[in-house]
Amino acid sequence: MVRIDFNRLRFLVIDDNAHMRRILRTLLHGYGTREVYEAEDGAAGLEAFTHYVPDIVLVDWMMPIFDGLELTQMIRQQGANANPYVPIIMLTGHSEKKRVMMARDAGVTEFLAKPISAKALYERIFNVVANPRPFIKTKTYFGPDRRRNVNPNYVGPERRKGGKADVIRQQPLLEKAKVLS
Amino acid sequence: MSRRKDDAPSVATYADHEVITPPHELRKAVAQAADSDDDPVARAEAALSQLSGEFGEWMNAECERLEQARQDVKREGFTPKNHDALFRAAHDIKGEAATFGYPAVAGIADSLCRLVEHTPEIDQIPVTLVEQHVDAIRAIVREYARADLADVAHVLTGRLREVTDDFLRAENDFRPDYLENIFAPPLAP
Repeated sequence: MVRIDFNRLRFLVIDDNAHMRRILRTLLHGYGTREVYEAEDGAAGLEAFTHYVPDIVLVDWMMPIFDGLELTQMIRQQGANANPYVPIIMLTGHSEKKRVMMARDAGVTEFLAKPISAKALYERIFNVVANPRPFIKTKTYFGPDRRRNVNPNYVGPERRKGGKADVIRQQPLLEKAKVLS
Repeated sequence: MSRRKDDAPSVATYADHEVITPPHELRKAVAQAADSDDDPVARAEAALSQLSGEFGEWMNAECERLEQARQDVKREGFTPKNHDALFRAAHDIKGEAATFGYPAVAGIADSLCRLVEHTPEIDQIPVTLVEQHVDAIRAIVREYARADLADVAHVLTGRLREVTDDFLRAENDFRPDYLENIFAPPLAP
C-alpha cells in the first residue's frame, strides 16, 4: 500500500485568518510534516513561496492585497519563479460552480471547500503527491491538465490524438526566403 | 533556499497546445506503508482534538468581528470597506463554524454571504436583514448548549435563507444568467 512520507514535504500555508492557519498547521504536523511555513496575505505568500520553495502550497481564496486566485496566476507564470508546476490546493468557503471553474482555470491543482476535515485534506495532498497530472500550455492557459476523467460520451474532435501528427509545422524562414528569391 | 536541479520537463506539442510533464519531484515522498496500523488521518484528527479547547474562544472572536462589521455598517452605511469587512467576517464563519464545533451557524453565515455578495447595488442591501442574520449567528453561538438548539437553528436558517433568496431573486431579475448561477447547486467536493 502506498503512503505519503510527510516528513519529506515542505508546505506553505497562505491564509489571512490566523485560526485557519493554526488548524492547517496542526493537521499537517499531525500527518507528520515538520516543515510548515505561513503567510497571511497574497503578497507575503508570494514572497514566502520564492524564499522557501515549498513542495505544496495551501492557499485561501479571499485574502488582502491580492487573493488566492491572483496568487495562483502569478505562481503559474513560467519563468517568473522557481517552480511554476508546484501543486496548489485551494481551500475556500466558496463552493459555487462558477468559483470552482474560476479556480480551475487559474491553474489550481486541487480545490477543497471548507469546512475542511483531516480526511479531505489528506486526500487532496495524496492526490497531488501520488497522482500528479501533466501541465497544459495554450495561448490562454497554463496549469494542470483540466481533464480528470475520460468521458465516454464526449463528442467532438480529439485534439490530443496522434501526437506529433497534429503539430502545425511552420515553414522555416530560410526556406521561405529561398522560395521568394 | 534553492531548488535542486532536476531533469527538464518533457513536452509533447500539438496543434494548439503543449502537454508538459514536469519531473515528478514529489516522488521522494511516496513510500510503501511498512506499518499498516499507521493512520496519518487519525493522528491529525487527534492533534485537532487537542486544539479544540480553544475553539469556543475562537468562535467568539469571529462573532465579535462580525458584530464590529455590523456596527460599522450601521454607523457609516455600506461603504466598499464596510461591505468587504462584513462579507469576510461572514465568509470566515461559514468556513470555520463546523471545524470549531458550531455547524449550526454555517447555514446562516452562508445566507448572509449571499445577501452581501449578490445584491447588485451595495447601498440596496437591507440592513435590517443583515442585522437579523448577525443576531441569529450570535444567539446560536451563545446558546449552543441548549437541548433544542439544532431545531431552533434549523428554523432560523430556513427562514432567513428564504427571505434572502426572495430578495435576491427580485433584485437580480434584470440579469437572468447571474440569477441562474447563484441558484445553481454547489459544485465543490
